[in-house]
Amino acid sequence: MADQTQDPAPGDALLVPVGESVTLRNTVANAIETAAEEGFAEAHFVTPVTWHHVGDVDRAAREAVRRLLDRVSVWADEDTPEGGPTVRTNVIGSDEYLFSPDDYAAVLAEYADEHEIERILVDPEYSPGGNVPLLRPMEVALAKRGFEVSEAPTSRPVRRSRLTRAGGALQFGLLFGVSFLFYQLLGGFSIVTGDSFDFFYELFSGSLAAGIVAGTLYTVSLSDRTRIRSLLPQFVRLVLFVPYLLYEIVKSNVVITYIILHPKLPIDPRLTRVRSAVWGGPALTTLANSITLTPGTLTVRTEGQDLYVHGLFAGAREGIAAGSLERAVRFVFYGRRTAAIPSPEERGDYEELQGPDAAPAPPDGGEEELP
Amino acid sequence: MNEFRLAAILALLAGGVFFTFVSIVGVLRLPDVYARAHTASQTDTLGAGLVVGAVVLAYGAETEVIKAVLLLVFIFITNPTAAHAVTRAAYEEGIEPWTEGDERR
Repeated sequence: MADQTQDPAPGDALLVPVGESVTLRNTVANAIETAAEEGFAEAHFVTPVTWHHVGDVDRAAREAVRRLLDRVSVWADEDTPEGGPTVRTNVIGSDEYLFSPDDYAAVLAEYADEHEIERILVDPEYSPGGNVPLLRPMEVALAKRGFEVSEAPTSRPVRRSRLTRAGGALQFGLLFGVSFLFYQLLGGFSIVTGDSFDFFYELFSGSLAAGIVAGTLYTVSLSDRTRIRSLLPQFVRLVLFVPYLLYEIVKSNVVITYIILHPKLPIDPRLTRVRSAVWGGPALTTLANSITLTPGTLTVRTEGQDLYVHGLFAGAREGIAAGSLERAVRFVFYGRRTAAIPSPEERGDYEELQGPDAAPAPPDGGEEELP
Repeated sequence: MNEFRLAAILALLAGGVFFTFVSIVGVLRLPDVYARAHTASQTDTLGAGLVVGAVVLAYGAETEVIKAVLLLVFIFITNPTAAHAVTRAAYEEGIEPWTEGDERR
């Protein structure tokens, strides 16, 4: 147990308890920032868990935690600057039954002592064990144990003001640049090919148009914290992704054409559910749209990371289960490292909601019935 | 314009028309709204794609080419969004996807 004395020299690691919360993404970013600024060598992201169930519930909980930590480590790697802290993720408390915030604090303290950590950063929206008024929240319980505890400044109103101050200029500039370029493109680049009147006219009207677009939309268009550093490689990988997507589209178009023109119409449509391993709005949208763009598969609904995909025939569904598009989208947004994540079928994240192997009905929408 | 280029343009146009035709046949033959949405996306991907390809060839190396490609990019973004919106509406209405053995609707 850490002693109560105020030791000015910080340990060389930062402990961040993480769990599902709306501010998780920002907490990760903030933790890396803090660790880099204060010179911590390591940032430990740990999830205290409580699985006292057996069988499937247990497995589902383990899966959920594993996915959460995968996501955290991808984000953390994305944020870590050159020579920044080493990122570690860990699951703790799996052999105990945790109930109150104090229990969570106890296992966190144990972990911290084991790794000689004195500084803890907590996600304000993450409150394991609940925020029961009678019980001390986890932060307080941790502080009582002699740790230096601070909250990641990520509560939503705070985050908004941070965004407009820190990322605002960058977002505005980026959107302005793209809009200006687009305007000149539609004008046939007469800004460079035309005479001096053209130049000033295009410069003025282009700046005006781009200024209006950027001024009104910069807070909307890029909601994540924009990072030039990751934007450029993402764009390059997107350019690589396009030919692959086109190839997939052509391939499945040919198959669908065969099926439609076949006198017997050999289709076997089924609704499936895939819990996709991509995170965040842009990546999920890209995946869902790529799936729909490929004839034979169609994203009917999304619920968080769950995509309800309608597959027209067995081959199309196998493609979804094998997750090749998912992998490609992950490559675009997170780089080549993430290709190692297994396919939805291997993860157990793919299930058919109709047909012989039908899983239970989805939470809402149509009730499924066997044929 | 040489004959080879003309032939390529005609081939692309014919391909575009063919896939659009197949897509229409599909809309008529397939059993329900979900299955039809699959084939409707054919029109926009290969149908429009090949026709835009023909346009690019016909214009040669002018700025219109960039506009044509941009057109394709926007089609590729809006088409799945529309297909998704239609089928999601159907799903939320409680329409069950047709499966093998059901009555044709």
